[in-house]
Amino acid sequence: MSRLPAFLLHPTARRAAQIVAGLIFLASALGKIADLSAFSSSIHNFHLEPFIPMAATNVLAMTIPWVELVAGLALLAGVRPRAAAFVYTALLAVFTIGVIAAMARGLSFDCGCFGKAGAGPVGAKKLAENLVMMAVGVVAAVERR
Amino acid sequence: MDRWWSDGSETGSRLWQGIVAIAATGCLLGLAQNALVRHGDPKSGLAWRYTPPKLDSLDDVVAARSDAQPGGSTPLPPDMNDPLQIGGSATSGVPDIPDVGRPIQIQISKVKAFFDAKAATIVDAREPAEYAEGHIPGAINMPYDQVVTDPERLEEFDPQGKPIIVYCGGGTCELSMSLGFSLVNAGKKKVLVYMGGWPEWSTSGFAVAKGATPEGA
Repeated sequence: MSRLPAFLLHPTARRAAQIVAGLIFLASALGKIADLSAFSSSIHNFHLEPFIPMAATNVLAMTIPWVELVAGLALLAGVRPRAAAFVYTALLAVFTIGVIAAMARGLSFDCGCFGKAGAGPVGAKKLAENLVMMAVGVVAAVERR
Repeated sequence: MDRWWSDGSETGSRLWQGIVAIAATGCLLGLAQNALVRHGDPKSGLAWRYTPPKLDSLDDVVAARSDAQPGGSTPLPPDMNDPLQIGGSATSGVPDIPDVGRPIQIQISKVKAFFDAKAATIVDAREPAEYAEGHIPGAINMPYDQVVTDPERLEEFDPQGKPIIVYCGGGTCELSMSLGFSLVNAGKKKVLVYMGGWPEWSTSGFAVAKGATPEGA
């Protein structure tokens, strides 16, 4: 963490990153919760059967948006923001692995990342977006000293 | 506590506590919300076990509609052994397609009837290379991944009021199923999915076309 440029270690930068990350997760959680069945078919599109049984798709669809919501609210409110930033970054890392796995297998579909509204196809652009959002998470997760 | 909003100093077990608490709270809230929604109305919310989407077959849809409206617009089939007559009009041999707001599965015999009567717009959801190797004559190539990146293609697509038959490489045929749903979402009516797809058609001895154009090179 200490290898980050000094301005990213500043408390204000960290707080700003937490708010941005919180807003991102809030938007993505609400978009998904608004249409859970759309999100569950988005998960199905990733074809994670080799790793996660297909029958579990709906359980993921029920829980992921709510974990996002709780983490997003914690980041915004500054309650345990470091823990929330870890959850945020870890979830994004999992999503990013999903995107890479889908791209590697030549799958192309709407990722459903922000629910139906902010949808975009899985691809290099989505990958770049995810990496930027993860970078925000890393800044937000820096330990306060 | 130099700032009122933030305590970002948690480390070690306190950090893990927070992480576990956030994840557990989220999971529990999600499960509880879904359970509540399903308790109120078992048809809403998500089922605990996921089942992949399955399309109704045309026969089921027609049967369900004639059950719902006895003596209605859909006459009972005179001969159950002849699939072409089920829900069909006697003159053209082409079945009437009810507009149900979702894709319907269709079998090869009916695809052939539509093909012979030129009564449907046929769409090939596979990649251009596969399309060029062989396709149903007259079929338009609309690869699903191109539609995802360029939704304009759906807007520009005009079936001229004809039913749309989507097919792909057979099997579970995710491509044509996904394209079928995209077409319905884009406001197209009478979307049919031919699950047998190219493998079945090409081995049935029906006409095929090769090349990058619908009618073939």
